Amino acid sequence: MPFRGHRIPAVSLGALLGMNYDFQWSVLWTGEHGRWLLQGIWTTLRISALGWIVACGLGILSGALRTVPFRPLRALASCYVEFFRNVPLLVWFFFWYFGAPQALPRVAQDWLNLHGPEFWSAVVGLGVYHGARMSEVIRAGIQSIPKTMLEASVATGLSLGQAYRLVIIPIALRLIIPPATNESLNLLKNSSLALTIGVAELTFMTRQIEAYTAKAFEALTAGTLIYLVLCLGIASIMGQVERHFRIPGLITRAGRAEH
Amino acid sequence: MRQMHRALHLAVVAAVVLGLAAAGWAAEITLEKINRTGVFTVGTRTSSPPFGYINKQNEWVGFSIDLARLVHKNIEKKLNKAIKFELKESTPATRIPLLSSGAVDLIAGTMTDTRARRDSVDFSLTFFVTGAQFLVKEGGPIHGIQDIAGKRVGAQQGSTNERIIHERVPQAQLVVFPDQPAAFTALVQGRVDTYTNDGVQLAGLKAKASNPKEWKIVGDVYSYEPYGMAVRKNDSDLRAIVNNSLMEAIEGGEYFRLYDKWFGPKSEVPYPLSDSARSFLMMQVVPK
Repeated sequence: MPFRGHRIPAVSLGALLGMNYDFQWSVLWTGEHGRWLLQGIWTTLRISALGWIVACGLGILSGALRTVPFRPLRALASCYVEFFRNVPLLVWFFFWYFGAPQALPRVAQDWLNLHGPEFWSAVVGLGVYHGARMSEVIRAGIQSIPKTMLEASVATGLSLGQAYRLVIIPIALRLIIPPATNESLNLLKNSSLALTIGVAELTFMTRQIEAYTAKAFEALTAGTLIYLVLCLGIASIMGQVERHFRIPGLITRAGRAEH
Repeated sequence: MRQMHRALHLAVVAAVVLGLAAAGWAAEITLEKINRTGVFTVGTRTSSPPFGYINKQNEWVGFSIDLARLVHKNIEKKLNKAIKFELKESTPATRIPLLSSGAVDLIAGTMTDTRARRDSVDFSLTFFVTGAQFLVKEGGPIHGIQDIAGKRVGAQQGSTNERIIHERVPQAQLVVFPDQPAAFTALVQGRVDTYTNDGVQLAGLKAKASNPKEWKIVGDVYSYEPYGMAVRKNDSDLRAIVNNSLMEAIEGGEYFRLYDKWFGPKSEVPYPLSDSARSFLMMQVVPK
């Protein structure tokens, strides 16, 4: 294909990207579209926040259980982690939306159907899946603490539970902030899969704008930038958290993440 | 600072060179592209029987695909060489981007010709006419659009009927799925009370269901859905070939033979051609 630069009538972004396409950014805010985007962002943030709370709860619990000196509890936590992290998230969404409610009694199913089953299936799906992944992050954090720390805690008269609650987990949580940030960002981005079970989150809304206006590139670009901003925001908040909770002299290291 | 300037300069040069190369490609019409690559790529559906779907023998077949094959034959005739016929999955949400980006050369699926879509793509003649209805479980409380307020209504994202429900019955709780199988599963599992789509698509779903007698298509059609094939904007050469292929097929009877194959009484999805639809199709055929 020879260059045919002289054919460019006017250098538009579309021509630069090699597409026979005129960009019309106004579709992002004309009519209902701006409101849709905001609703999408709000739903994405809600699913992600609730899913994150579930993930952290399950993650801390099972991550801690995987390190306790009691085999049945370790095995139980390992089963949870291996089962949930080794099946694709999309499959879990289908499971929690199409499959799991079938196990409920009819009355509970009817109740659920009236209270947004899509939304809650997505929260549970995200939370349980990322809980399994978060668990590994937390286990790594706990195991990076020297064993003598636990022994010393118990020697001061704390019970095993107290030693975990008051010493090991608080230190581990500080150690794992960078990988946990990573996992939280993944969770936020993975929430976009919820559109497959009919949740009107951000990606859904960008596709909705595309469907109504047939302006795909504008809508997708908007979605991309919004996710980018949300993720950068979370990363910077987590950076602040890391700084705020550091234990002077204990686990601060040079080269802490800057945002 | 100086280094940064140099990097910036380099980036600008790279962008301009890339842009020029790309603009050359953009100026290429689809027929030239097909001639150069030797491939004609058609975007179609995988789960919309009988327009485009995977059948029990695991083959990708359908009415729209058969019509696209007629276009393919005419492209070969025009270019005077053998061209490979390739299919690519395209859903309502992905088809326009696929076409605009050049990933497919023609959309031949279940795309309704609308004025909004004509801003982005060019449509062929109408090759099928249908209208939206509702699929419900036999004996359910929904009998048409008048009964759906407050009900959970499944729809497919990007479809024209989803938009109409949204505007005409805002009290209905729309649950919008990206593809038809997910929406139908939601209906089967009771997550939604009804599923709305073009009547002929519902007939296809019903026919493919494990127990077709359980399902019923209800309601008067509440929308007009003329299906067209779509090509990139301002690509009149390809569009002319598509339109001529359709006109030849309607005039020569090939269209009606295919219609009978896919929608006839013995087909998987019986959907008789109404007299008005038949005369509408015939009237689109302009003289030679």
